[in-house]
Amino acid sequence: MRLAGLPIAMLLLAGAAPAQQVKWNFDKLAARASDTVDVSLSGSLLQFATKFLSDDDKDEAKVKKLVGSLKGIYVRSFEFKKPGEYSAADVDSFRAPLHSPDWQRVVGTHSTENGETVEVYIKSEGKGIGGLAIIASEPKELTLVNIVGSIDLDSLSELGGHFGIPEGLEVEKEKKK
Amino acid sequence: MESFEEELRSALRRCEPSPDFAERVLARVSAAPVRRAQHPWVPWLAAIAAALLLTVGSLEYRHYRGERAKDQVLLAMRIAGSKLNKAQKKVQMVAHRSNS
Amino acid sequence: MPRRAPAAASVFDFASLVRQHQAMVFSIAWHLLRDRAVAEELAQDVFLSLHQHLAQMESPEHVLFWLRRVTSNRALDEARRRQRRPMVSLENAPEPVAATSTGDPLLGTALKKLVAALPEKARAIVVLRYQEDLDPAEIARVLGIPVGTVKSQLQRALALLREKLSRVVGQASGLSPREE
Repeated sequence: MRLAGLPIAMLLLAGAAPAQQVKWNFDKLAARASDTVDVSLSGSLLQFATKFLSDDDKDEAKVKKLVGSLKGIYVRSFEFKKPGEYSAADVDSFRAPLHSPDWQRVVGTHSTENGETVEVYIKSEGKGIGGLAIIASEPKELTLVNIVGSIDLDSLSELGGHFGIPEGLEVEKEKKK
Repeated sequence: MESFEEELRSALRRCEPSPDFAERVLARVSAAPVRRAQHPWVPWLAAIAAALLLTVGSLEYRHYRGERAKDQVLLAMRIAGSKLNKAQKKVQMVAHRSNS
Repeated sequence: MPRRAPAAASVFDFASLVRQHQAMVFSIAWHLLRDRAVAEELAQDVFLSLHQHLAQMESPEHVLFWLRRVTSNRALDEARRRQRRPMVSLENAPEPVAATSTGDPLLGTALKKLVAALPEKARAIVVLRYQEDLDPAEIARVLGIPVGTVKSQLQRALALLREKLSRVVGQASGLSPREE
């Protein structure tokens, strides 16, 4: 398997039972965070939202194509005033539901420069793939993403380098150092 | 900048109207005259107008809800894409180092 | 004689809605108009309209959006009308009691007056941003204007407020702007 460099191209649901949202408990962290981003979109609300994505805007058109067959998008991002406000045990508690047989960790990266760790998990469902989970931890920020349904990871990753930031810029900066 | 914005928030904090404000509103609502239909078609006209208002009001609010939900989708994809992109670039960097 | 179907009942308790939102509605009107009597009258009218439109409300969020929109637009209309009439001096406008205030009271009073002196649209944008904590996209929807306009007007308004405030503070401390 590859992920945009790793070749996971189109992921298809195999018509098995619908994929479920990962059961994460955010109460403890939410109480300690200075700022929280909370996105929870599922089912009909998600499909309703895609109707408002413009085909004329390049980014919105890409997102519209990406999310067209999704069942749910869940994002929580917590910001903290200083490092150490959350622990390794907190992160482990978010990993725990992803230790089941149908989840597989496909990427784990760590940067010693900014202390950021990113883990990417994919859920298999029948013969296809039915979900994505990302745990991204930095000293003052913890982000959890769960996408339910089939998604093109290459296109999603492209979006991450595309929204207002030229692709490849960060890699070039690192190469110059 | 942060301090100035905090001062602005503090200056523009919500404040209460007169203590009997709610009672006065409710009194005005109760006192509003009940209109009697003068012509047989007035109730029908009122019903059509109400239905139109309902449709327009609902459409307006649906548009508002849709735009807000759209913003949330874009935000979520931005965040997810950014984290995935970081992982991808790291993998590419490691692969590049091991190949060179 | 045909039987009439009963009128659709609203699921909202109107009296509760008034108590829940009266501070918000009054404050938007007050911060835009700086005339307590007019702000209360306008706020009452907004709630009367809400009562007439209650059956159209789909959710608590819809009520909130509707109230902000109607209050802002009516207050802006009133502010424009008042521009053509002599106004009561802002110096004499009595201050309603804020819920809790953590800032410097003198600075707060100066800021309120400076906000009141902004052009109407910019004033509405600043009030919705800092009283209601709305982001530019939400402000754009409430006021029915492009989000780009909201962002540029907000930026200009903040720059103007900061500049005027620094002069006010400088004058109050006995310094001329050059001496700061």
